[in-house]
Amino acid sequence: MNFFLNGPEAGIQIRWIPRYSSLERFLHWGHAFTFLPLTLTGMVLFMPLLAPLARGEAGQFIRLIHRASAVLFVAVPIIYALLEPRRLLQTLRDLKFGKDDLDWVKGAFPYYLLGRHVAMPPQSRFNTGEKLNVVILVTGTVLFAITGAVMWFGRGLIPVELFQACVIIHDLTMIATVNMFIIHFYLAVVHPMMWQSLISMRYGYVSESYAREHHAKWFYGEERAKEMYAAEKAAQAKKEEMV
Amino acid sequence: MARMAMLIDASRCMACRGCQVACKQWNDLAGWSYSKTTNRGSYENPRRLSPQTWTRIKFIEYEGPERFQWLFLKEGCMHCGQAACVEVCPTGALKYGPLGIVTFQQELCNGCGYCSQFCPFHIPQLDVANKLTGQAKSSKCTFCQDRTTNELTPACVKTCPAAALFWGERHEMIAKGQERVAVLQTKRGFPNANLYGETELGGLGRLYVLTERPAHYGLPEHPASPVLSRLWQDLIQPLAEASFGVGVLVSIAAFFIARRNIRMEQVE
Repeated sequence: MNFFLNGPEAGIQIRWIPRYSSLERFLHWGHAFTFLPLTLTGMVLFMPLLAPLARGEAGQFIRLIHRASAVLFVAVPIIYALLEPRRLLQTLRDLKFGKDDLDWVKGAFPYYLLGRHVAMPPQSRFNTGEKLNVVILVTGTVLFAITGAVMWFGRGLIPVELFQACVIIHDLTMIATVNMFIIHFYLAVVHPMMWQSLISMRYGYVSESYAREHHAKWFYGEERAKEMYAAEKAAQAKKEEMV
Repeated sequence: MARMAMLIDASRCMACRGCQVACKQWNDLAGWSYSKTTNRGSYENPRRLSPQTWTRIKFIEYEGPERFQWLFLKEGCMHCGQAACVEVCPTGALKYGPLGIVTFQQELCNGCGYCSQFCPFHIPQLDVANKLTGQAKSSKCTFCQDRTTNELTPACVKTCPAAALFWGERHEMIAKGQERVAVLQTKRGFPNANLYGETELGGLGRLYVLTERPAHYGLPEHPASPVLSRLWQDLIQPLAEASFGVGVLVSIAAFFIARRNIRMEQVE
């Protein structure tokens, strides 16, 4: 109907907003697709079912894959940092946590799980969950790289206590990052509400409506987003009173 | 089956190194590739254990308060009752054998080297073929597991001409060692003589009669498994498995709950 009344410009119009640069997407997918083989090959030491793969020649081969993937896993962020240093610094500077983030975590349960359309605190280009993911993954990558390199090249040269500590830190980092990965995979790929997030990591763009709803601080600017959030909360409170 | 043990009477050892030769011969270990002889002002040779040297005599020149002593220590795997290497080995290559010895199955070993880094006595030796790929194999004294499981004595015990090495049921070896310590203390003038390995680390399979305190031999007075070796099996593995399991199950449950509650037409 719209089409006939308003001409071909009407219909559904989506304004696409650039969210990720191509290098950011290279960083994300490069890291993701080296993280997976690293996790799978590392699991032979943790899953009793996979234990036979850790033995003898198979174990030597698995370690070779683990090390080759590790080189790429560390190389990808370094390449990114060299090619887009200013954008990287900007992103890292945005990783600030405040009261809005606490409210977001509180609101996330009814919002994402129960599907209640409650007002969520406005978010910048990354929301609280995404920021948490970045913090854990960046810290994890640094810890993995240091402890991994020490175990790879330092055995026999360094005190045994240091080697032992590296084994344990490597393992604890693995537990933290893999758990983060499960949550991240669930929210980004499985969860029905977040499909646009996945699309944006593939093509680099989000729709205007998605940006308004989920990244208001980024879309409107900090002050305007806060005003809108306050207004929305007030409206919601009023509505609840009437009910 | 009763736990077996080796008793090493250091007071009787004359450092002929026949045990070193017998060990290499029986276990088919190469001689020279790892240990070219160099004169370092000592008869000690080779200077340390290696992937091809599972036992060796350590020479210690000890100047005690009363007199000079030349101390000889037959180094090798202690076969601990609670072995850190068995706790950290991810392949099952290192295991507790039926005789209470720590057996080693080399074809299972993937060369991770954890055993060499966690052993409180620094015994297992890693033969690294390629530093970059990590191609490696571990090795250590197995108490000649192929001999002892067939009711023979280890090759070093068989060859020892000084009657300083004994092989038998562990409680008998302890009794024999204590007897010898008493003789050394009362009749031979070694007041510091002691038996090493009776209770350490779940009891060692390698018992030493020493004429001086263990520290003078370079042995830890109170050896302990590294705390971190217990952490691996007792905490890290269960923690990883439990958290991944819970994470995946909660995600699946959350997916179904969310799918019921979220109306897709409202989703931007």
